[in-house]
Amino acid sequence: MKLQDIDVAVIGAGPAGMAAAIRAREAGAENVIIMERAEELGGLLHQCVHNGFGLLYFNEDLTGPEYGNRFIEKVMDTGVKPLLETMVVKLTEDRQIGAVNAKEGFITFRPKSVVLAMGCRERSRGALNIPGSRPSGVLTAGTAQRFVNVEGFLPGKRIVILGSGDIGMIMARRLTLEGAKVEAVVEILPYIGGLIRNEVQCLHDFDIPLYLQHTVTQIHGEERVTAVTIAKVDADRNPVPGTQRKIQCDSLLLSAGLIPENELSLMAGIRLDPVTGGAVVDETRQTNIAGVFAGGNVLHVHDLVDNVSWESELAGESAAKFAMERDLGEKGTINLKAGTNIRYIVPQTISGQRDTTLYMRVNEPQENVRIKIGDIMTKTVRAVKPSEMIKIELSSEKLQKVNKETKEIIVSCEKRGGK
Amino acid sequence: MSQIKTEVLIIGGGIGGAAIARELSKYKVDATLVEKGPDVGQGITKCSSTIMCQGSNVLEFRSEYHNSRLVWAGMTMMEPLCKELDIPLKRIGSLELIKNQEEMRHPEKMMRRFKEYKGKYIPDEVEPLQFIDRDTLRSWEPNVNKSYLGALYDPNIAVNDPVRLTIALADNARKNGIKVLLDTEVMSISKGTDEFEVCTNNGSIKCRYIINAAGEYVGKIAQMADADDFALYPVKSYQAVLDKKLGGIINHMVLSNENGMVAPTIHGNLFFGISPGTQRLGKAHDHSTDKKLADAALKNAQELVPGISERDITNSFVGFIVFRNFEIGWHECTVGVSRWVPRFINASIGFPGICAAPAVAKEMIDILRNQGLQLTENPDFDPYEKSMPDFSELSDEEKRQIIAKDPKYGHVVCRCETVTEGEIVEAIKRGARTLDGVKFRCRPGMGRCQGGFCGPRVTKILARELGISEEEVTKKGGESRNLLYKSKELLEAQQ
Ligand SMILES: Cc1cc2nc3c(=O)[nH]c(=O)nc-3n(C[C@H](O)[C@H](O)[C@H](O)COP(=O)(O)OP(=O)(O)OC[C@H]3O[C@@H](n4cnc5c(N)ncnc54)[C@H](O)[C@@H]3O)c2cc1C
Repeated sequence: MKLQDIDVAVIGAGPAGMAAAIRAREAGAENVIIMERAEELGGLLHQCVHNGFGLLYFNEDLTGPEYGNRFIEKVMDTGVKPLLETMVVKLTEDRQIGAVNAKEGFITFRPKSVVLAMGCRERSRGALNIPGSRPSGVLTAGTAQRFVNVEGFLPGKRIVILGSGDIGMIMARRLTLEGAKVEAVVEILPYIGGLIRNEVQCLHDFDIPLYLQHTVTQIHGEERVTAVTIAKVDADRNPVPGTQRKIQCDSLLLSAGLIPENELSLMAGIRLDPVTGGAVVDETRQTNIAGVFAGGNVLHVHDLVDNVSWESELAGESAAKFAMERDLGEKGTINLKAGTNIRYIVPQTISGQRDTTLYMRVNEPQENVRIKIGDIMTKTVRAVKPSEMIKIELSSEKLQKVNKETKEIIVSCEKRGGK
Repeated sequence: MSQIKTEVLIIGGGIGGAAIARELSKYKVDATLVEKGPDVGQGITKCSSTIMCQGSNVLEFRSEYHNSRLVWAGMTMMEPLCKELDIPLKRIGSLELIKNQEEMRHPEKMMRRFKEYKGKYIPDEVEPLQFIDRDTLRSWEPNVNKSYLGALYDPNIAVNDPVRLTIALADNARKNGIKVLLDTEVMSISKGTDEFEVCTNNGSIKCRYIINAAGEYVGKIAQMADADDFALYPVKSYQAVLDKKLGGIINHMVLSNENGMVAPTIHGNLFFGISPGTQRLGKAHDHSTDKKLADAALKNAQELVPGISERDITNSFVGFIVFRNFEIGWHECTVGVSRWVPRFINASIGFPGICAAPAVAKEMIDILRNQGLQLTENPDFDPYEKSMPDFSELSDEEKRQIIAKDPKYGHVVCRCETVTEGEIVEAIKRGARTLDGVKFRCRPGMGRCQGGFCGPRVTKILARELGISEEEVTKKGGESRNLLYKSKELLEAQQ
């Protein structure tokens, strides 16, 4: 395959990138490459040795590597060309890609379409702005996960975890099984950041104390962490005086949010949604730059890999179509706007011409709600939580109700009955 | 325990000690620099705002301070020094913002004083200050708070990377014959009649002259020799670095009396900090950030540049600025022979000490001569260093060439700053032995993810290149190991 003949170039070979590349091939694109900076395909799945993957997509309970392997095989079977140990360092407005690897050096080319699938990164200590000294032993849960599951090392033996994201809770269990003592999981919100199943299976089942509405107010230790101070927080998330408590520990793991990795997108001038941190896309997952698509965690942070795969297949299919036909037909002209208790909706715009799945998250947990998509449809839901993504299928039939002149549809989540 | 003898002992490998060592290496002299850490430049120097060639905004032109005169003399030394050592320096200029009519008189007063001092205290080549009106300010810096009425513009202000400068100074000094001993902490000093005996964790050192350039610990070292004829006033100062994506929103250093400053760095991000003089005393040697200071600094920075938000902070830290006590005056440094102990020379270089360092180093030569040291020129002195390649700054063609020569440059290890394995290996060759040592030489882990991605990979490369195990790799020496146990080690211990 010559670089100048590439139809679809996928950046990133995690679950999103693999699904997009496979589907692009299946949809008829001839030359599809997948570019990955690591030595192998699979992205973060390799370090996720726990199960819970594929319950929806495969109807099976798989581990991360098992889930990944099914896609890796398919990448090979469908004739997608992987370009490993290759770091994309440049993306321009007109879809020029610049990448480096040790074999070919610095390569540049312009594929017919591009899928962004760079995933996300964890919020670091700096981004959390945690006061205190600057010792070693403060690391993100995902970094700890790599050390433990891939490299074969433990960061320490007395652990405090700040944030109750899924990776943090999973690492609480993992480190306990490795013989370390997890002294506390500290969450600033009144509810956990990850999935309920992880709270039950990773914290409760191992008697790991969870402190809701608490935060770390100070890190101690000059060279290595020696302790952290935690405190209760008020409704404005400010520490309540007098509730401070020092916990001796040698490591502080951070599991307080994921940020879509969009530096290349910014370089190319792709418009980002300030709430999701990912690109603004229409229902084909096309960004504001024609021929550039995005899917998976680079677009918005998912809680289930199954949805990442599905969403990215859509991006891959669109990319293939664009590569072959140079056009996707209708553009997204209707904006979906977040109303009451809705944090965001992806896609942000729709054309109103085809069946669409809306992904959304709420701001606050709420029970017995009705989710309203303008006045075209409502869906009743028993309980919603910020950590659990809501999926709503919107058929083109329903969309016919939409007036041609409509520029905006408000999506809201309201209490059922009464007001 | 070893015992060595040297003529001149420099204590401290910050910008001060390193600049002095390098200046001394221009002469035929037996001199040794000791640094307690595993690397140079990791004391106050690491915490600085990296603003160079400043003479106006901080010192307010008070000529009676020794510190002012050193800073002004240094204004034209920094650029040629950086050239010799191949350290990038970028002139950005500063804008001291004017808030109200009352402050409008300030620029005029400063410009008058500048004229008066020029040629006398301030080198002739230094460019004059200017007043910038409101419209010009807005066109130069559209993202600065619109309420300001104008600014005092100082075109001389520049930025560089002081840690890299310190490393280059130490490397150059070493190349020209000065001994540099790392991991060597001075514990006590005893005075003989014409010799000092300095006790360190690595043995004792006999010397005739001591230059005390221990930064924050300059008082402690002086006390060891009963040479502490001064009292210090350490001021805690806070800085935060912002994500590179905000890099372009401000082009000059912008500052105001009340609200500290916001400025671009040489590496293309922005940072902000509370300027010294507005802060209360911090507890000495307590290097922790606290929420109050951080919140105040953020609020101040947002006052200057409203587009800054907390979620764009990638890193924050504090540092101490070492001033003299109040009676002597806020902005005074402690540079000179102790009044109590001959041949014991203090070099506590105050603020802005990086700007002053080249002038302090020159002054040390005169002081040493006055104290009886014979100094003849070193005919073999080579003033030049070549900085290591910076992959992210290379053109596409240069990238191709360097990868062709060494494929390790085709392996990107740090994704945020685009740092390659080739650079990391080169940094280790040049003396990095810790994660911070690598980070301050070629920046892996300096970016927005703060080493989350590259940390495990840099650890591996360090272990491989140094021939140690990954568990032995530290962040910054001492007890700062990153990985405390092997998998299963804890379980086995429990059985
Ligand atoms: C927040 C902040 C911002 C600043 N901004 C600027 C700026 O923009 N421009 C500017 O010019 N200046 C600035 N400064 C000031 C400048 O950083 C300092 O003046 C300068 O770095 C001091 O250098 P030094 O070599 O004296 O001290 P250090 O860099 O602290 O060096 C002293 C060294 O001595 C070593 N040491 C200490 N005790 C012992 C011992 N017992 N044995 C062996 N070694 C020992 C330490 O480990 C250290 O490496 C700033 C300072 C701060 C805190």
